Amino acid sequence: MENLDDLIDFKTGRQKRLIYSDAEIYDQEMEKIFGRSWLFLAHECQLEKPGDFIRTYMGEDEVLVVRQKDNGLKAFLNTCTHRGNRLCKADHGNSKSFVCNYHGWSFSYNGELTGVPLEEAAYQNNLDKSKFGMIEVAQIASYKGLIFATFDEKAPSLEEYLGDMKWYLDVWLDAMPEGTELIGTAMKVELPVNWKLAVENVSGDGYHLGWAHAGAMTVTAESDIAGLSVGNSDVDNESAISVAGMNGHTVLAALDGKSGYAFYNEYQMAWDYLDQNRATAVERLGEIRGEKMWGSQINFTVFPNLQFLPGLNWFRIYHPKGPGKFEMWTWAMVDKRMSDDLKEMILNNVSRTFGPAGMFDNDDGDNLQAATEQSRGWRTSQMDIYTNMAMGNEHSREGMPGVISEGLVCEQNQRYVYRRWLEMMKADSWSDIPFYNNLEEARATEDK
Amino acid sequence: MTLKAAKDEVYLDLQRHLFKEARMLSAERYDEWLSEILSDDIYYRMDMPQRRFREDKSAVRAPAKTPIFNDDFASLKVRVGRYKTGFVWAENPMNASRHMVSNVEVFETDEQDQFKVYSVVEFHRSRLNSERKRFTVGREDRWVKSENGYQLLERLMTLDDSVVLDSNMNFFL
Ligand code: FES
Ligand SMILES: [Fe+2]
Repeated sequence: MENLDDLIDFKTGRQKRLIYSDAEIYDQEMEKIFGRSWLFLAHECQLEKPGDFIRTYMGEDEVLVVRQKDNGLKAFLNTCTHRGNRLCKADHGNSKSFVCNYHGWSFSYNGELTGVPLEEAAYQNNLDKSKFGMIEVAQIASYKGLIFATFDEKAPSLEEYLGDMKWYLDVWLDAMPEGTELIGTAMKVELPVNWKLAVENVSGDGYHLGWAHAGAMTVTAESDIAGLSVGNSDVDNESAISVAGMNGHTVLAALDGKSGYAFYNEYQMAWDYLDQNRATAVERLGEIRGEKMWGSQINFTVFPNLQFLPGLNWFRIYHPKGPGKFEMWTWAMVDKRMSDDLKEMILNNVSRTFGPAGMFDNDDGDNLQAATEQSRGWRTSQMDIYTNMAMGNEHSREGMPGVISEGLVCEQNQRYVYRRWLEMMKADSWSDIPFYNNLEEARATEDK
Repeated sequence: MTLKAAKDEVYLDLQRHLFKEARMLSAERYDEWLSEILSDDIYYRMDMPQRRFREDKSAVRAPAKTPIFNDDFASLKVRVGRYKTGFVWAENPMNASRHMVSNVEVFETDEQDQFKVYSVVEFHRSRLNSERKRFTVGREDRWVKSENGYQLLERLMTLDDSVVLDSNMNFFL
């Protein structure tokens, strides 16, 4: 294994390209990052009734998330405790039991092993069924509708893990009293890309918008709102911010209160909704969040692999499948109180912009794929690359958590994502992983 | 409702249209597609499926598929407009595409000048280096006969894959 400090340097914004291609590093990521982080599983709205389940992943481990009789939630490894077959093959649904296709063991939706064919004759009644239930994750918890789990029983609480990122997440999760929901089903795409390249892109890369997406930008109405105009020379530092330094989580946010709908063909319905509900948002979230952030284009990254964008309204998780591959799942996200018409318009807009046939999303894949492939060469894998744009602009702002730099065209967030990556990769246990939620704390923990 | 097969003459005419359209799309002659093939009232939709248990009834509450194309003439024009900007880097150099259309069936409908057309498309794309991508869909079309010949009024498709295996879907099926 490479010396980890040789892979990332936070101070200069350097990454060694081996991290995008090396199998050994990837295996370490599975253990140290995906094996210990709180990972997004599902939205509460997707598991309405007892027996509702979703099949998803935590790292490369397949997991079944199941609504219980008492309305609680459990998450199990989707694997049979007999000889290891996959238990459930459906993506989503409702079932009161999971019956293994191999020898027919059946498990109740609460995880108990309830049926073993030929139990008497074959096991001579010596099988202690209570010891062969489905295997649960170490911890499961929800934050305002979003369900997360971790394989590490020593991981801090979900609230502590999210830290002050919660203040920003609430701009979507808590603006309206009824809360939020995901609509439609997961739109899934498999890409030959290292997962970190996709995460860094959405976490902070406002730089690529004007160029990589020039085609889509050109034909999309109103694309000059909030400095999101065509051509990456146009940097509007006043009306947008990059926020990082919150335990690896990041935010990219415009501050105009309506640019989220800038890429909609018809945004009037959305703007009317914002007008009608602005007072509620301000009442619940206060001036800064209710007035300036709610309705703005925002990119949220919850480390390591969850990203969602109020405004454009897509919600996405990346499931790594080796150093050079991941599956990304995208949903449309809405406020529950929105009208059916508005919800439908949002779903359509997500399909048109960031779904598998989305005009914007279809610009990103090849760039990320090529950056992955170009990190695989004997020589390129030893190369250093940098996210060193707008260094030294970091500051704190009154009443806002995190470390802040002006503008969307800025690589601050990527530096903090890689800093968290390194912190987790180096740490033997959670007690060695620093927590920080503002500039002072981020600086104090920098060399740890 | 039992479907009544269209007359052979209509069948041949519409099949000719499907093949012509396929050749147009493979060559990315999208302006012609918009003006010659599509009706101004086109509804163009492709869904992405999920895998559900056959006996599962929860699909009533939770959809089992989601549209990834859900377009009318105006939004298709925007999609085409994007290609015409010359800024869609993924399509330069041009990828080699083939639309293979088969299993064509044509039926009459209650509307005198409208026909229901089923077909299957296998779409191949040879991209950079050794990349070869393949998509298959079943299509359920409605074509209308007007003074300008046949025009496509509605196309409903469900992608066969539950996970898209390409980095973009910069094409029409
Ligand atoms: S592996 Fe599941 S019953 Fe044997
Ligand atoms: Fe992008």
